[in-house]
Amino acid sequence: MKGKTSFSFAVAVLLFAVLPAVIRSEYMLNLFLMYFLYVIIAQSWNLLGGFTGQVSLGHSAFFGTGAVVTRLLWTSGVPIAPSLIAGGLGAAILAAIVGIPCLRMRSAYFPIGTLALAMIAQITVGNLFPVPGSLSSAYLADYSTLSRYYVALLGAALTVAVVYWIVHSRAGLALVGIRDDEAAAEAMGVRTFRYKVLALMVSSLLVGLGGGIFAYHQVSYYYYAPFELSWSFLPTLTTFIGGLGTIAGPILGAACFLGLSEVFAISLGEVHIVVFAFTFVLVVLFVPGGLMSVSTKVRGVTTKVMRRITG
Amino acid sequence: MRYLNLAQGSLIILGAYGTLFLFHLDVDPFASLPAIGFALFLLGAALFKASFGRLITFPEPGRIKNSLLISFGLMLLIDSLATLLWTGDERSITPGYSGWTFEAFGFRFPLIGCVGVLSALVVIAALHLFLAKTYFGKSITAVSQDHEAASLMGVNVSFTCLVSFAISVGLASVPAVLIGLKSFSPTVGILWFNKGIVVVMLSGIGNIYGVFPAGLFLGVMEAISVYLFGAPYREVTGLVVFVLVMVLFPKGLFKRQEL
Repeated sequence: MKGKTSFSFAVAVLLFAVLPAVIRSEYMLNLFLMYFLYVIIAQSWNLLGGFTGQVSLGHSAFFGTGAVVTRLLWTSGVPIAPSLIAGGLGAAILAAIVGIPCLRMRSAYFPIGTLALAMIAQITVGNLFPVPGSLSSAYLADYSTLSRYYVALLGAALTVAVVYWIVHSRAGLALVGIRDDEAAAEAMGVRTFRYKVLALMVSSLLVGLGGGIFAYHQVSYYYYAPFELSWSFLPTLTTFIGGLGTIAGPILGAACFLGLSEVFAISLGEVHIVVFAFTFVLVVLFVPGGLMSVSTKVRGVTTKVMRRITG
Repeated sequence: MRYLNLAQGSLIILGAYGTLFLFHLDVDPFASLPAIGFALFLLGAALFKASFGRLITFPEPGRIKNSLLISFGLMLLIDSLATLLWTGDERSITPGYSGWTFEAFGFRFPLIGCVGVLSALVVIAALHLFLAKTYFGKSITAVSQDHEAASLMGVNVSFTCLVSFAISVGLASVPAVLIGLKSFSPTVGILWFNKGIVVVMLSGIGNIYGVFPAGLFLGVMEAISVYLFGAPYREVTGLVVFVLVMVLFPKGLFKRQEL
């Protein structure tokens, strides 16, 4: 990373790392943990949807796969670190098996094909594991929110760093080239399909890791819960609203989404989805760059005004 | 017309709620069809004016993708608004004849199912006559084939797009009434959209005549899968068929226009 970016990134991670020493409330810790999870999901989606231009509505399938693999391994006695890695790998393998055929679909078929996959996965897992998976008393005895908090923070930092690194590498140029004009990229000698597969597999690996963290955090949940379609819709909404194809966009969008859902959670169930869906439509129509482009515009206007004032 | 409306299923469910509302005012579901159809037609026109219509200036691939994204947002919006307004409870419209059956050729047929088949045939026939015989229908075909050329020939492209989109939403009133007579809730819209897209994929986009056999094929596949694997996997069948067709026959089973 370049000097300034890596410095602010390190400061942010450090701040979040010392946060539990200041904030003791269990509620706040869980809230930040969810935030890290949202960042993982949205940023990994962004690699595929934002930088490569392959809008996937099937992210939940990979998130859920990571959760199932990690949960089953972990509760059968495997330590958490290898279980998490296995979860990520499981999601990447699923991506290789079912996602690669999907990438052969043209433009608008890819979102629908991946949505179909997500629904197949959700229904199948719901039927295979009809009872919720709860932790046994031995696991509950040494459950601590703090350790989950740090694992999630680590996951989020890793995701942001990996996506940043890929995007700023030679591969990143190829991905953006595919997004902007696939035929032209191919004509320039970019092996477009290979790069799309790379983006899909890294994206699935990261979100599978996120799914593992979800499984590590939840005490009791239905196995199909992380497969629910809302986990596919979440990264699409947050990334678009934050700023598609920027590193800061999903981080910003996830914060807005979580904040809004917390504000409305007390009053009525689904209001935040209404607000977000409406904003999403407006963003697609009028502000393709999302919040990030708004902030750049505002900065541009303010510097102009400042210059005018200072002469 | 090269717009992909992911919210079609949600609009159907919206129509079903409208039918239910009229039913509580003692209007027969089938009698309310014209009113629901007209209301949905207007809603479709308004939606097009407010959102999809702005995409006309977009280049072709971007237009489909953006219409997909917009309708994705609309789908979430309509579904969660419906949940807020009418709760997530499962509803059903139950007029006196909802359970009626009649006997013919030694089989018993449910009345509403037969009306469904008939109405599908009527809609397909009407759509065919409209597209093939009327001047406006021909201009719709022209715009979907090449909107620039159509525009040069004096077709009002944006108006044609508007009306064809509104018709597509208005026609959602037919499944709305039929689904209303079965059962529905705010979240099932996407399941019905799925069935729609699977059938369209099988028959080929832009081919209205293949829709009936394709629909029949999907129905038979679902029935067989329920027999083989059990009812929970009913929805999976159509989706698996869809993914397989997309992967094995990227150009479609029958003739399909390029998207």
